Amino acid sequence: MDTSHLAEHAGAAGSLFASIFVVATLSMRTMIPLRIFAILTNVVLIATALPMHNYPVLVLHGVLLPLNSYRLHQMLQLVRDVKQSVNSDLSMEWLKPFMTERKCGPGEVLFYKDEKADSMYYIVSGRFRLVESGIELPVGAIVGEFGMISPSNTRTQTLECVEGGLILSVSYDQVEQLYVQNPAFAFYFLRLASARLFQNIETLERRLAQQTATPAVVAKSA
Amino acid sequence: MGSVRSSLRYLFADIIGDEDGDPPFLPDSLPEAAAPAVSDGIHLLMEYQGAGYAQLYVDRIRRFVRRPNVEPVLLSRIAQLLAARMAYEDLSRIAQLKLLKLDRGRGPSGHEADDVRRFHLDELIGVLPPALADSLLACFEQIGWLGRRRLTVRFSTRSRLAVRRLRMMAGLRRWRLHSVRYAEERAWVERWLHMIARALDKQPAAASAVIATAAMIEGQGDSYRQGLADWHAIIDGLAKPTFDGVLPTSDLAAAIAEARAAAMPDPRQAALKRTIAQIRARALAAAPGTNAAE
Repeated sequence: MDTSHLAEHAGAAGSLFASIFVVATLSMRTMIPLRIFAILTNVVLIATALPMHNYPVLVLHGVLLPLNSYRLHQMLQLVRDVKQSVNSDLSMEWLKPFMTERKCGPGEVLFYKDEKADSMYYIVSGRFRLVESGIELPVGAIVGEFGMISPSNTRTQTLECVEGGLILSVSYDQVEQLYVQNPAFAFYFLRLASARLFQNIETLERRLAQQTATPAVVAKSA
Repeated sequence: MGSVRSSLRYLFADIIGDEDGDPPFLPDSLPEAAAPAVSDGIHLLMEYQGAGYAQLYVDRIRRFVRRPNVEPVLLSRIAQLLAARMAYEDLSRIAQLKLLKLDRGRGPSGHEADDVRRFHLDELIGVLPPALADSLLACFEQIGWLGRRRLTVRFSTRSRLAVRRLRMMAGLRRWRLHSVRYAEERAWVERWLHMIARALDKQPAAASAVIATAAMIEGQGDSYRQGLADWHAIIDGLAKPTFDGVLPTSDLAAAIAEARAAAMPDPRQAALKRTIAQIRARALAAAPGTNAAE
């Protein structure tokens, strides 16, 4: 029995579906639905190319399918990690996969007070000191996350490397791209940044209360 | 149609440059006496790079407006030196200046004399973005050309071809803010401003001397490299340790002046390093309870 006309019909139907999916993919405004439709397009085109022995299309979409799947997985994982962070320790460790490594020598200054801020850092090893306040930052600290959302966009302290070490850095542009591409990430990122701000306000309030309590005790004992 | 054009302009802003911005306003509360210097700086940087770069200049000046211990004279000096340093001389700046002279009319002889400059190889590579420059620098370092090889570039307006070449060089300014040299200049300017701010906090009498150190760096090639090395030697050897409280220099301004006087066109910086060591030894010996070997 001749099945060539069946393959032809399947090919025509597949091409029609694939065209619809391509239009749908390109009309998506955000990254997660765009990746999902791109994966569907890849699957349809692979299924269409197989019976028609169209190997170039098969190879192309055979490469694109894992690529789109990996990127979708990355995005979903990012949203999950940020969401988890909001509900637990407010850490920013989820940014690590998007950061690049940089070695720092003693005396090297990562940024100066009042400088325009353009990236945030994660301290992996070494010793780093905020020059103006004299505070030493521990390994695992994230520095410069508020510069991105602050209106003035400037550094409030100078960060100097005291003992050589390794840092990870990510530019605000990269975080902004993630923010714009992914509304769920944007929402949880905003919540996380606000939560960290509130946490800072609480710490300041506690310190202020301690400072105002100390003179009162001194006055009483005098 | 206008919105489509503006969208396309935004999309290709990195390639075609962002030239259509208006000049930034002077910072609020700027003393009247300092306004002409800041205004000149804005004008210079508008011509040098564009509105965004002039805005960066204004933002940097704003840090010192209404700051304690900053008199209008001091602010004017910061404004002048900051503008001069931000308009650093690279290939495209020299070409741009040559073209400006050409546009304003030739000299009485009818032809403008050629400008011949000697650059270090890494200065020329520095006009490229880091992704390209890093691999080239690594290559030249391996074959031993880096730091030793100097190249002569002729800036001429004698023929149409030479003028076209100048225009191409001047056009490189569109990519200037993505270049390796810009990243280095930015780090230097920020360090200088940081040292001024620390001087104003720790030793206000020395602020003027710290500001004036910017004049040590000028031009290109050997003189630029020498000035930069001397500046870092003075700041690392005297100013920073004083601000950190490690070196008890009572008169930092005099110490800087003494060190600057000892700076010679010597790549080994022998006289300068000796003078800095002497100043440090004197300061440590004069302060009771400090370790002279520190």
